[in-house]
Amino acid sequence: MQRLSSALFLLGLGLLIAAIFRGMEFGTAAPIVGQAINSAAAEQVGAANFVTAVVLGYRGFDTLLELTILFTAATAGGLVLGKRSPTAKRDPDAGFILQAGADLLFPLLVIVGLYIILHGHLTPGGGFQGGVILASAFFIPILARPGTRMSHAAVSTIEGLAGASFIFIGLLAMFGGEAFLTPLMDRGELGALLSAGSLPLLYLAVGLKVGSELAGLLTHLSESEAVD
Amino acid sequence: MNQLALLVALPLITAFLLPVVNRVSTLAARWVGPLVLLLTSAIGISLWPQLGDSAVAVELGGFRPPLGISLYADRMALLFALATSIGTLLLWPSRGEEWLRQSTLALILAASGSGLALSGDLFNIYVFYELVAVVSYGLIAARSSAGSFAATLRYLIVSSFGAALALTGIALVYQATGTLNLAQLSRLAPTHLNNLQGLSAFVLMLIGFGVKAELFPVNTWVPEVYATAPTRVSGLLAGVVSKLALLIIVRLLVLVFNQPEALTVMLVLGMLGVVTGELAAWRARDFNRMIAYSSIGQLGIMFIAFSIPGEAGVFAGLAVALHHLVVKPAMFLLAERWQGSLHRLAGAARTSPLGAALFVLLALSLIGVPPLPGFWAKLLVMVNLMAQENTLYMAGAWVIMGGAALEANYLFRVASSFYHRSDEQSSPAAHRTRDLATASLLGAGLLAGAVLIMPLADEIEGIASQAASKNRYVQTVNPEVLP
Amino acid sequence: MLDTGLVLYSGAFGLILIGIAGIVLSSHLVRIIFGVALLEAGANLLLLLATWHEGAAAPIIVAGRVPDRMADPVPQALVLTAIVIGVGILALALSLALRVQRAYGTLDMHEVRRRMEQDIAGEAGIDLPSSSHAPAAVQTARQEGGA
Repeated sequence: MQRLSSALFLLGLGLLIAAIFRGMEFGTAAPIVGQAINSAAAEQVGAANFVTAVVLGYRGFDTLLELTILFTAATAGGLVLGKRSPTAKRDPDAGFILQAGADLLFPLLVIVGLYIILHGHLTPGGGFQGGVILASAFFIPILARPGTRMSHAAVSTIEGLAGASFIFIGLLAMFGGEAFLTPLMDRGELGALLSAGSLPLLYLAVGLKVGSELAGLLTHLSESEAVD
Repeated sequence: MNQLALLVALPLITAFLLPVVNRVSTLAARWVGPLVLLLTSAIGISLWPQLGDSAVAVELGGFRPPLGISLYADRMALLFALATSIGTLLLWPSRGEEWLRQSTLALILAASGSGLALSGDLFNIYVFYELVAVVSYGLIAARSSAGSFAATLRYLIVSSFGAALALTGIALVYQATGTLNLAQLSRLAPTHLNNLQGLSAFVLMLIGFGVKAELFPVNTWVPEVYATAPTRVSGLLAGVVSKLALLIIVRLLVLVFNQPEALTVMLVLGMLGVVTGELAAWRARDFNRMIAYSSIGQLGIMFIAFSIPGEAGVFAGLAVALHHLVVKPAMFLLAERWQGSLHRLAGAARTSPLGAALFVLLALSLIGVPPLPGFWAKLLVMVNLMAQENTLYMAGAWVIMGGAALEANYLFRVASSFYHRSDEQSSPAAHRTRDLATASLLGAGLLAGAVLIMPLADEIEGIASQAASKNRYVQTVNPEVLP
Repeated sequence: MLDTGLVLYSGAFGLILIGIAGIVLSSHLVRIIFGVALLEAGANLLLLLATWHEGAAAPIIVAGRVPDRMADPVPQALVLTAIVIGVGILALALSLALRVQRAYGTLDMHEVRRRMEQDIAGEAGIDLPSSSHAPAAVQTARQEGGA
């Protein structure tokens, strides 16, 4: 019975989607907002990468919420996974090659991650992409030596302060009588490293928050007891 | 008017900092959450008088819509934003082992719920909706029992499925119009979305956002979650969060998709919800599931009411929604001590006379017995349905009548068992003072509503006429006209 | 000559349909979660394609050169947001699946549902026809009402 109703539901949805597909014209839609942003972003925001101008400028509010979703998922994940029982078995340390490789990779990954975060307003990349690389920099050593513990206190402090500073920069604009999340500071010269006002600061906050969030979530998962 | 953003920003910054604050002082961490919610409620209330006849829009980031995201507050939006803050405050999670994480989640729920009510951008609404969803997974799983994990996972799957469908709908809308701003969409809808693609986008979003509003085919999670989640969380989900999802659907209907077919889809799904919900509640054997299924039925009535075209539909639906917003959390607070089989509840009036009396009051209003507010809300829906002179709307009226009869049957069955003497088994434990006080407060609100029904109805009608006005929304947000 | 737009759009709708089929038809929880991930990927691709134009350049100004025809930056930003949301939810879903597997020893949807119904009924003090005993694990879960 349930199988039958699922199949019927699927059929209905499939027909709906087929109907949409038939009626669609490919590659002809007019991006009216996109065009307006493409012609205004250089002057209004001052970031050479217009995607960044959208992510942190025009739709910065979305980005704040997205950070909050990651934060919430990490908090809820901690709640679900609970504490590790002290008697649980640990994986043995990895061999020499993996350990040495992890040690070598660590500084490189940190530098690449920070580079990608700080150039987010100029080139493809930014806080999310760089944050993920930062997280992996801190997570790979844990894969090599499962016995070592990451300091959850430090991770949650970085995460809290980075998230709060994003909102704080947004609130600063409100003290000046502007709307929440209005970009601050001088826009500078288009394409320079120090340009686009407060956007690089925001991306730094995003990068640190994403990095600590993901590192925390991954270590939580790796610290939870394995199921045999 | 920039302060509107504070309703979202303040609880969020507190939630981010809560673990840090806790490392400095546990006492501060325990109290800062409720205090911030008091503050945001106060900000919300202070904005209320300014919204007398006009609505306001805030351009976030200082970018003119439709380039930037705008918040829009009329009295309906502010009312629901306030309801989220105050509701979270009233149903603040109990102090358990995981109080810190739960407080963090509750703060985020208050922020995201307020934002959901205020947001004026389609994709921003989707992000807020997902945020509300993730917060509720965390709060439901807080029970940490095997059953609650399984229920949360199944809920997560249904909800993510719905959210992905809603995202597909949003993609279709963006493809057709090139914008996400609700006001600009409202301008473009008659020429760009009045076709099959527009209708399918609406159906996808209706199913997607309908998951939280307990809409008919995507409400399988309701009985499982409300039976395993902490009762305060169930109260919040059924009372407040479901209304927020409904509010979005109503906004979309009023502003963008005012095609008759869209209303018909909603009407039919609402009727199916009433039928299935009330029948299942009638058959339910434990208290939590009974009120969970009955909430599916009640939300079905709201869908039917909002499917009435024009201002009358918004007025009727809003009346039912506000009534349910007060009654359901109170019911769940009573459920805190009355979980489990209905047989166990025999003689509950002896140990908890006030609780039993409150239940009778709430049940009477839910069924729609005059002169309680529930009666007037249902009457309004019925009168407007009858006025449509359309077979399908008439059928809707009959479905509501039938549902009310079933409701009367099962709620009275439970209420009368409270007052039966039971010798062979022990009566359930008395309620905690905190739960009972909150439930009494809500019950007192219900009684006050019954006494002041005429001014209250005028107020709600004013709110509804403001919310049903497409022109007011477009003029207030006033998006730039782009070539 | 194959139309690029047709291929791209077919990919998006194909992912959506495969995802939905995976959710509705499979009974293993991890497969269902992957179905959700596929569905999300399809929706993201569709969003990205919403204002897609053949041959448009990336909306980035390199060394002061403004491309003739730039792609719409909005969907790219939206998809970035949607992907991150998807990752957060996926991690949470897998954590939950881990706990469910640990509690029930299975990830079969029907079996998990049956055990969950038993747990709920056992907690409520109702006998389900299919089960005569309530699992002992439920009793430990009721720490909340103690205060």
